[in-house]
Amino acid sequence: MNSVKKLGSLALPVFVFFAYFFMYIPIIVLVMFSFNSGNTNFWEGFSLQWYHELFKSVEIIESLKNSLIVAFSAVALSLVMGLFFVFYGSKKFVERGLFFFYGSLAAPEIVLAVGLISFFSFFSVPLGLTTLIAVHTVVGMSYMTPMLYSGYKSIDKNLSEASFDLGATRGQTFIKVILPILYPAIMTSSLLVFIVSLDDFILSFFCAGASTVTLPMYIFSVIRSGATPVVNALSTLLLLATSFIVLIFVSLRARTKLF
Amino acid sequence: MKNTGFKTAALRERHIFASMPALLWQIVFFYVPLFFILVVSVLKRLEYSIFDNLTVQHYKALFDPAYYKIISRSLLLAFSNSILCFAIAYPIAYFLVFRIKHLKSLMIFLLVLPFWANFLVQVYAWFFVLERGGFLNSALLGLGIISEPLHMLNTPFAIYIVMLFCYLPFMIMPIYSSLEGINKSLYEASSDLGASSWQTLFRITLPLSSSGIRTGFFLVFIPSFGEFIVPTLLGGGKQMFVGSLISYFFIETRSIFLGAAFTCVSGFMLLVAIALLTVFLRLVFGRDRA
Amino acid sequence: MREIRLQNIKKTFEDELILDCVNLTIKSGEFFALLGPSGSGKTTLLRLIAGFETVDGGSIFLGNQEITYVPIHKRRVNTVFQNYALFPHFNVFDNVAYGLYLKKLSKDLIEQKVIKVLRSVHLEKHIYKSIDQLSGGQQQRVALARAIINEPDVLLLDEPLAALDMGLREKMLVELIELQDELKTTFVYVTHDQFEALTVADRMAIMNADGEIEQVGTPKEIYEFPASSFVASFVGSTNILQGTLIQDCKKIEISGIGMFEVVVPKEKTGLCEDLEILMSIRPEKIEISKTEMTGFTNHLKGKVDSIVYHGRSTQYLVELENGRILHVFEQNEEHFPQEVIDYDDVVHMYWQKENVVLLDK
Repeated sequence: MNSVKKLGSLALPVFVFFAYFFMYIPIIVLVMFSFNSGNTNFWEGFSLQWYHELFKSVEIIESLKNSLIVAFSAVALSLVMGLFFVFYGSKKFVERGLFFFYGSLAAPEIVLAVGLISFFSFFSVPLGLTTLIAVHTVVGMSYMTPMLYSGYKSIDKNLSEASFDLGATRGQTFIKVILPILYPAIMTSSLLVFIVSLDDFILSFFCAGASTVTLPMYIFSVIRSGATPVVNALSTLLLLATSFIVLIFVSLRARTKLF
Repeated sequence: MKNTGFKTAALRERHIFASMPALLWQIVFFYVPLFFILVVSVLKRLEYSIFDNLTVQHYKALFDPAYYKIISRSLLLAFSNSILCFAIAYPIAYFLVFRIKHLKSLMIFLLVLPFWANFLVQVYAWFFVLERGGFLNSALLGLGIISEPLHMLNTPFAIYIVMLFCYLPFMIMPIYSSLEGINKSLYEASSDLGASSWQTLFRITLPLSSSGIRTGFFLVFIPSFGEFIVPTLLGGGKQMFVGSLISYFFIETRSIFLGAAFTCVSGFMLLVAIALLTVFLRLVFGRDRA
Repeated sequence: MREIRLQNIKKTFEDELILDCVNLTIKSGEFFALLGPSGSGKTTLLRLIAGFETVDGGSIFLGNQEITYVPIHKRRVNTVFQNYALFPHFNVFDNVAYGLYLKKLSKDLIEQKVIKVLRSVHLEKHIYKSIDQLSGGQQQRVALARAIINEPDVLLLDEPLAALDMGLREKMLVELIELQDELKTTFVYVTHDQFEALTVADRMAIMNADGEIEQVGTPKEIYEFPASSFVASFVGSTNILQGTLIQDCKKIEISGIGMFEVVVPKEKTGLCEDLEILMSIRPEKIEISKTEMTGFTNHLKGKVDSIVYHGRSTQYLVELENGRILHVFEQNEEHFPQEVIDYDDVVHMYWQKENVVLLDK
């Protein structure tokens, strides 16, 4: 009886182990084969050739550049607009307005994408980096504003009053008191928006136009047309970058519970 | 209402316009485009005037059973993916909350990582593993388990498996979050009153985590319905799903009107499905009064 | 049979020994209190009886049955939690009926029992309310009802009144006493509040900060005849002075203060001479006066250092010749007392030798 119980209590850990295993196996294989010296799916030896090719590829550098421009711009725009929204709006305005931002998370991206295409073509707006930035900012703000608001709400009202009481102006209070306290919220939401923008495929695919390519778009086209292990190398580096950002994010979150 | 700390009335009056760009941006680039799909779906030509421009011909064209097949295929994918994700996610979340203490942060980090890794990279990784000349086949051939490479790509199997593992973190995280938030003494109370572990699971744990379960379901169901990447890359294009069809309309054939109409119809079916799903979830998991 | 026997209980938590060799018997049907400061292990002991923790050594008996390793849900023991632990997704009825649902009783029988129990805790008007609509006191009674409806052999209460305000607490204490009288279930009540313990208990145990039981007895025994200076100072307040027994156990000599008459219990007379010992005299047992009085066996002079008015009584802190401070309580028996004692007054303090307790630690 006892051994059956013991076996039963082993079932869950084993199950979880296999789940994690299957989640990670493809990624591990992907990374491994980025170091493969051959082009086939058999291990032929260790080599960094694909990484060399990666850095030589003009298309990849170009698409990386585009992705980064769009990501940074989207973060900057959504951060500024989001901060102003949360900060200068009256309580009612912000709380009702937030619902508008939640809506963006509820619709499938592809619906939004085609809406935007229709919208842009109706007004004959040329598709390119600008449209991409505009679109990513929309998505960015729907993540950014709720997080900024919850961080802002949690600031003790008495702190600003104490600041005034001790002689500070509103501007000084904002810079010396509010902003530093809000810093973790700003960092975490910016990181989140950055990754979301970098990662985004569907919206970019539809709204970037013929001549602009972002990194995920590049990967997609290469998979379609026939991939070489250069994609493995690119993916490995992307994973490294993401892990690094996630580490920062998690360590920031560990200090302030914001979710 | 007097002073809300930092924002005094005077400050608000001066700068109230500063808070509007965000909302305006959202309206212009999100809600207006959605409205546009609706508008375009009933237009004959892309012109500003609606005079002599309205039609239902596009919707009529959609009465073909082929389209219903595609929509129901996507609904089925979305629903089964949600259920599969749930079946696997709940035990994992349960394990993370109740069964480990020491490696918890590491396990959660490992969980969060794929959540944020580039979706395409994940899909490509599975592509790499599953393709004919790919890793899994080579390994199985090498080990002598099979004599001929398995045809795994371009099958529904590939789609379902990849969808499952790519969406798994979306289901695990909200469930984990709501399980963590349950007051631990409630379990002790339940055992104290005579419930076995399974009884406690079904009567207390499951109902109290129902809000997390619901969030997880919607985080998986809605995107799965409109999923475009996985069916296109791994499905071989033999079977169309809502996502791939929409892309086909807009990008490959540039039939904006038909595409818009189809998007509206799919969107409507999605809303109906969400309503049904909500009822279903409430029946099965109960209402959460946290 | 609802007697609880704890034998040689040992419990460690993360390398810290909380309980070591604890022995205790709680009689069937009694209202038993476990009193001690925070960290004394009293809650741990309670949780061991409930089954939430398992012993690292020793055994637990309920009646004739050993329940040391019996799982929580199989013990005929129910707990009232400090934070109530009411299920938020059930209303009052479903919370209370939870244990009965598990036993698969008929719907009518369950309804009957629930209404009866809720009536006994005066909540019959709130049967179908949701938990968040109830006040703290009401929630506490739901937790109580939920536990007693299962007719357990033992009811465990873990500081149940801690979250309630003073007035409500006193009211609930009386209700608990009446309830236990009616049910005749063994109650084990854990608290750090001596007033609660003294009020409700038939018998009580005092635990110290090291997880040991210092004394077990009725409230009166514990208060009037404490077994150690810890018990004497933890339950009520007292003055403890160190001295030596002399003159054939008839007197105690306290250096710097003087000699006082004592009464040593007959069993201990043999070990007296030159024995180092502690003398405990409770503040209410000392008479204080500005004029001299007769009829008391012990006398001491001092100067009033501070006075604290407590309404019912007044507390005086009196400084002795050697600088030691003595606490004295006087009941405020009259509106206009004949004698008014003020700061810096020289006063006489008197007590009878029978009211002193001698302790060796």
